[in-house]
Amino acid sequence: MTKSQPPNKLLPWLDVLAITAWGVLMLRYWRTGKLNLLIHPNYFPLVIVAGIFLIIVGLLKAQELWRRRRRDVITSNVQHVNFFAPGWGSSLLLIAAISGFIFTPQVFASDKALQRNVTDLLSTSRLQTRDFEPPSQTEKRSLLDWVRTLSVYPEPDKYTGQKVKVKGFVIHPPEMGSEYIFLARFVLTCCAADAYPIGLPVKLSKGQDRYTPDTWLEIEGKMVTETINGQRQLTVAADSLKKIPQPENPYGD
Amino acid sequence: MNQLNNGFTIFLSLLVEAMPFLLLGVLFSSLLLFFVDERKLVEKMPQNPLLGALVGSMVGFLFPVCECGNVPVARRLLMQGVPTPVAVGFLLAAPTINPIVIWATWTAFRDQPEIVVLRVVFSLLIATIIGWVFSSQTDLQPIVQPAIARYLKFNPPPKPEQKRRGKSQSGKIAGNTPSILRSGTYILGGRAGMTTRLDANQIPASEPNPNAGKSRADKLRLVLDNSIQELRELGGVMVLGSAIAAAIQVLAPRDLILSLGAGPITSILVMLVLAAVVSICSTVDSFFALSFSSAFSSGSLLAFLVFGPMIDIKSVGLMLSIFKPKTIFYLFALAGQLTFLFTLFINLHVI
Repeated sequence: MTKSQPPNKLLPWLDVLAITAWGVLMLRYWRTGKLNLLIHPNYFPLVIVAGIFLIIVGLLKAQELWRRRRRDVITSNVQHVNFFAPGWGSSLLLIAAISGFIFTPQVFASDKALQRNVTDLLSTSRLQTRDFEPPSQTEKRSLLDWVRTLSVYPEPDKYTGQKVKVKGFVIHPPEMGSEYIFLARFVLTCCAADAYPIGLPVKLSKGQDRYTPDTWLEIEGKMVTETINGQRQLTVAADSLKKIPQPENPYGD
Repeated sequence: MNQLNNGFTIFLSLLVEAMPFLLLGVLFSSLLLFFVDERKLVEKMPQNPLLGALVGSMVGFLFPVCECGNVPVARRLLMQGVPTPVAVGFLLAAPTINPIVIWATWTAFRDQPEIVVLRVVFSLLIATIIGWVFSSQTDLQPIVQPAIARYLKFNPPPKPEQKRRGKSQSGKIAGNTPSILRSGTYILGGRAGMTTRLDANQIPASEPNPNAGKSRADKLRLVLDNSIQELRELGGVMVLGSAIAAAIQVLAPRDLILSLGAGPITSILVMLVLAAVVSICSTVDSFFALSFSSAFSSGSLLAFLVFGPMIDIKSVGLMLSIFKPKTIFYLFALAGQLTFLFTLFINLHVI
């Protein structure tokens, strides 16, 4: 049977290739730090273990195939689920894996954030605030800490005058005047599919550069309340803006 | 260009996040398929229709199978003489009510725990109700495929291997399926061999535990083969599903998505259709739903998560190996309507 149908001999090797490729790809993302751009760090161990397991499964199968390469043993090649024609499932997996090797995952930037309007950007309804205690020294709070704090106590005047030192990237929402920029970061709960932007408006003093969108900045200043788009809004009045490199984990704190 | 990059990143992130769960599900289901003795399970099934449907729905905890693995198992259960409500309950709920799927759902919806809880509750409820409804059909002949009806007729299932509770079991079968057993028409060739051939799985349906006599090494080899088969089938579907999710997120006009997703009724309808069309495996479908979570109502996400594992295009083909088309239509129509009602209630009154 196997002699008359040569493709049957190759198909199992396609499985091996696809499965092993996925194992290698997952471990590679981990080693190169690109995993940060794809999923929440909580799930790194899961991906690493799965990567190792996929490679083991692939190698076991390869070993078995190699051993019986000369014999015409008909393995139990009954198709499990006949959704795909033989070879299609593995081909899809393999193509996805190869494309993963070729393209590099991208950090989300201002263009994705701007798919939402400013009201969306300023709303904090999606943030999880349980078990959350921000650092008491306000200048140690991250951008995420601030947005979380704000979602618990939304009154902006409560924070007036507090010191701020936060990092994020620049967005220029069209609804905001030229004296403002929006400092943002993306937050992941699970993986890049649920990434959503959070952040605070920043008020620039005269002569301060607005920077180009997506520039990463560290901003120091004080909290003030501004009326933006008809809404009272907690805003950072910037004393200094410093350009910084994009953090290794751009979705972290 | 940037859109393409974003879409591709989402595509890869869905796959990387889902792959561990898929692998876990596949390994577990393969292991259990070969190491759990179904006969013992079949004997313990309650005869009360409502209770049976409920217990059947929860058997998934012992068989963490996706919707592709559960059909062959459901058919084996049916052939070994479990009451219909148990089999139907299992068929509908097993892909959702199992530890791996619940863990994956929790991973995806960590910040909306109510989705995880309601997914389990609704799936159980709907599977139990439908299983119970099917218990009113005592004669299996009109609802299952002729091959299975014939098999049951000529192999009145559990004469439970001569030693265990034979009386109660065969007594119940006689009571449940009188027309089958009393019918005087005998069809030539309606023997066990028939059903072995139509089994889509590696495990012949006619033998409850075909691997009992095999050595450990052989069993492990079968586990490996079965895992790889499932991995490639389900993995292929997962790749397609992730591509669709990523494409919709990047390409679909934002206004359209937002207006569809905000309506309490339209959002549920859209998600029910997506659930039927996108055959993504239940182990990883929560990640698919997650990519819609910013725009779609919670009720509609639930509708996807509850209805999706019960129906999809791929499982229709599989279920035709058990049921007649009319039966499958009823199953899906009932499941769809119940899902719609429950999730609409959530949209309008709860969240």
